[in-house]
Amino acid sequence: MANKNGRVFGLTLLCPILNDEQATPSHDLQIRYYLASLPTDGASPFAIAPNTHLARLVVMDDVIYVGHPAVEEHLKSKYLVFEANTDVDLEPYITGLAQSVPQHIDAIWSHCAGYPGLSDLGAFVRYMKACQVPTTFFFAAVNDKSVTETLTALETKRAVAEFVTAHQGMEPAEVQREFAAFVRELRNAPPPAPGVPRFAREIKTGGHNE
Amino acid sequence: MSKLNATDIQGFVLRGYNMPYARYCFLHIDDAARSRVLIGALLKGITTGQRWDDGKPPSTVNIAFTHRGLVSLELPLATLLSFPVEFQEGMRARGGILGDTGANAPEHWDEVWREGRVHIWLGINAVSTEALEARFAELRTLIEASGGAHILDCQDAASIVIDGKVTLKEHFGYTDGFGNPDYAGVCRATQPGQGKLMPDGTWAPLATGELLLGYADEAEELPVAPIPHLLASNGTFMVYRKLHQNVGTFREFLNKWGARYCAGDHAAREKLASKFIGRWRDGTPVETSPDRPDPAIAQDPNRSTNFTYAKDADGARCPVGAHIRRVNPRDAFGFNGLLINRRRITRRGMPYGPFAAPDEASPELDEVDRGVVFIALNASLSRQFEFVQQQWIAYGNDARLGNEKDLLMGSHAPGEKYSIQGDMSPDNPPLFCTELPNFVELRGGEYFFLPSITALGMLAMDLVDPR
Repeated sequence: MANKNGRVFGLTLLCPILNDEQATPSHDLQIRYYLASLPTDGASPFAIAPNTHLARLVVMDDVIYVGHPAVEEHLKSKYLVFEANTDVDLEPYITGLAQSVPQHIDAIWSHCAGYPGLSDLGAFVRYMKACQVPTTFFFAAVNDKSVTETLTALETKRAVAEFVTAHQGMEPAEVQREFAAFVRELRNAPPPAPGVPRFAREIKTGGHNE
Repeated sequence: MSKLNATDIQGFVLRGYNMPYARYCFLHIDDAARSRVLIGALLKGITTGQRWDDGKPPSTVNIAFTHRGLVSLELPLATLLSFPVEFQEGMRARGGILGDTGANAPEHWDEVWREGRVHIWLGINAVSTEALEARFAELRTLIEASGGAHILDCQDAASIVIDGKVTLKEHFGYTDGFGNPDYAGVCRATQPGQGKLMPDGTWAPLATGELLLGYADEAEELPVAPIPHLLASNGTFMVYRKLHQNVGTFREFLNKWGARYCAGDHAAREKLASKFIGRWRDGTPVETSPDRPDPAIAQDPNRSTNFTYAKDADGARCPVGAHIRRVNPRDAFGFNGLLINRRRITRRGMPYGPFAAPDEASPELDEVDRGVVFIALNASLSRQFEFVQQQWIAYGNDARLGNEKDLLMGSHAPGEKYSIQGDMSPDNPPLFCTELPNFVELRGGEYFFLPSITALGMLAMDLVDPR
């Protein structure tokens, strides 16, 4: 089935960017600047809005001419590409974005042709649906767990490792008692917030090494 | 593939000399023209890969150049710019990628490595100290007479002698020097476990281009190499890293955790030591013999490197993060080992400094200047050495260990742990070591280009022409 891989929904949107020769800087440059300054931590719109595993927003200028014998071709417009792995289908996902981070949605999509704004939610969802490209083979960055399940599992792994290192070698009865308390505490803990890694990885990346 | 011309390849590339003494001399070029004359004079004495039918010579000499060295030799700009970026940048500039920060940062390096003044590496290996000194005196005379370069510093290294016997041990007490990869055309006899794993479970030599420039590599491509082809062909890139070993810290750590492992006795401590590396201290692979060292295995070339990890996915025998499993995961990542065949390196390192008697254990042992001169050869510094260092030593994701680093080689931050997987047997319990100190500290190093004999001649005669 298109756009689905197990429980994960693969969202792919191509939204044409306004081509207004009077605009300074041009609309694609304005989107680029806004995207480049978006936070990538817990303040990211995709951390604030629910259901996002992974999201990429990319400005696609044109197809690149690689030289003879290729034929030189051009797109009719520049596009904003929105690719995401989400827990829910397009309509509830887009609705979640509109409700949680309307200021970001407006700031980005107001540079796109035909964007109806957010005052009429139904019109906005219909617009995004019209921009959707059905995909059967999309980049799937996750296993079949929800965002909350994944974050909880990572936190559980970390907490269990910490419990084990702190309790190894203790008397079994004492470990059991402490473990029961630990499990209660873990079960009652709220799911961890997205976009906030527990460990910093300070190594420089790049080159051939990833 | 074509037969290799062993007379054109430096011997250091094709074989470990297995000589107990070494001196690495670091030269600075003062004058290009006179240095070219010096290279010409040295060329006659450079040890090639030719067979030693008349027995081992008393000493060997090999030579390699940093990118700054090649700049100082005034090679054409088009050639200088054609070298891979990581070689042009040098090891110090790659510190962020290699994780050479904190105690491993350049401000803690030996003086000679701090300013990027090293241009030439001259490596002498010798069967005796007399042979070493004689060869060194010969080279020094040539260098001084040339007026083209001077010796900045020398690093001595020597096999560790215990009870009068030359050993393959390093300072933490492990037998080292097992398991260099086999390459097609390079090795006269291949050893099971040394090359690449084939779908039928046998082992075959890796493509020549994983070690030597100018030959197809495992991707059936020519490795990235400088122009002209003749300058690069039969050459390779060399990593030189002086790694100080904190022997006191290591022994204290092993005693502390050994007391909490299994029965907490001497046998438990040795078993724990084996779980750090993946080999018992005599070299027996833990994967093959998880309960005890077995000299019959360690000394049998058909068994000492002939093992895989597929049946030990949980690491109950050899921990998933044990050193030898990290740096050469064999089949541990599936796909018949295909994911690792382009990440292999050849090691030519040696220990330096005095060996501490095994019963000593005090923090002062850290202060003694000793460790290992790590030398690795590979066709691509970035794809091979740097990848292994960054992804498999300084990170654990590929091994499904999250942020865990190599226990002994990693530069540890507070809160890190080392996981030893186990099973339900009381003799093989799991253990998580915490409060990890730094066992090894980088004291300097650099990337070198180790040219062929032909290329050395081109350098000496100023015939490098990239057109």
